[in-house]
Amino acid sequence: MELDCRGMRCPLPIIKLATSLKESEEVILLSDDPATLPDLNAWARMTGNSYEVIATDKYLVKRL
Amino acid sequence: MGSVTGNFQSETLLHPAASAFLTEAFERGWADPDKRHAESQQAAILLNEAKEGIAGHLGIRRDQVEILSDPAIGYHLGISGLLREGSRLFYPANSRSEVFAIAEGISAQKLEVDSSGAAQSPVGELKDVLAWQAANAETGTIANPPDAFAGRIFVDATASGALLSLPDRWSTALWNSRAWQGPAGVGIFAIADRAIWRNPLPHFDQRVSSSDFSVPLTIASAIALDAFVADFNERRSEIRELNQEIRHFLHHEIGDVDIAGGIDTTLPQQLSFSFLYIDAEILVNELDRRGFAVDSGSACNSANMEPSHVLAAMGLLTHGNIRMTLHNGVKREDVIEFLKTLKVLIAEMRA
Repeated sequence: MELDCRGMRCPLPIIKLATSLKESEEVILLSDDPATLPDLNAWARMTGNSYEVIATDKYLVKRL
Repeated sequence: MGSVTGNFQSETLLHPAASAFLTEAFERGWADPDKRHAESQQAAILLNEAKEGIAGHLGIRRDQVEILSDPAIGYHLGISGLLREGSRLFYPANSRSEVFAIAEGISAQKLEVDSSGAAQSPVGELKDVLAWQAANAETGTIANPPDAFAGRIFVDATASGALLSLPDRWSTALWNSRAWQGPAGVGIFAIADRAIWRNPLPHFDQRVSSSDFSVPLTIASAIALDAFVADFNERRSEIRELNQEIRHFLHHEIGDVDIAGGIDTTLPQQLSFSFLYIDAEILVNELDRRGFAVDSGSACNSANMEPSHVLAAMGLLTHGNIRMTLHNGVKREDVIEFLKTLKVLIAEMRA
């Protein structure tokens, strides 16, 4: 599933991501907020989920 | 209630002992300590005593104390004054922006830091310079000692003040009077060995800094430092217990919280923590409406909308961030009240 959060400010992309991950095991997140990358990093550490950067402003997020 | 929290970088309350002195000091006026008449001599004696007291608390010699009316210039004096042809500058990624500004355009290497505040420990060469932070200003985390470094060491003690001692081998050091509830506009700069330091500012003589600083503010700073250290020593274990209690509450009563550093690796009176899925701007406003003045390092609260480079560099959550200072006047009941309010608000916002 793809989640387009472009134009949104922190913490909205991470909140929407967490909601989406309840329905889908993998989410492609599109986000251009400068806080998204550092926050994905901290969020993954805190929740045990994982992510990878697949392109600029594009992330593949996997549920634990 | 506003005193429970706050930005420990820029809004520390003036110590009551210092403010009592200042009211009287400014009314009376001060003579130039460099002149010869009786009043000037008196000012010179008091200034000397203040420097003596400051030096004692900071672990330096009286003749090493330089007063700066603009503490920020101390980064340039302390770092650029040690750089030579071919020097490299090493600096942790959670350094203050003044250090980043100096690193711009020179041979410099940024050091990675982890969430406990520990930075990569470089070795370097004799001519290299390390800008070492005793404690981090934004999170309160205490750095690992720079023992392995072969070059010269600039110590940024602006956040730790008198609470942490200088490393065994230091070349230049900078403190900010605000760290001990002293007045703003008083920085303390010290050079361990004049032979290895060159003044990077335009200058005519051997003086390190301008003598154009406020004598009453400097004396007030010395009074505040004395009182702050005495208060802190008296309340050290109490502050630590309160800090531990707050950490426990955040983890067990609220949850999904990222706290910077551990109880033993962070200055005891400072706490920085971030709540997952929380908009710091809304949280700060809601707390304000309930009488709690709180500061945040989150992007939503910064002027440029960029996340805090310190939180990001340390791998800490940049949204939902709050900073808290356990000032000497803070009562346990107030902190508990604050935490209860926080718990209710976070639950409402996450629902």
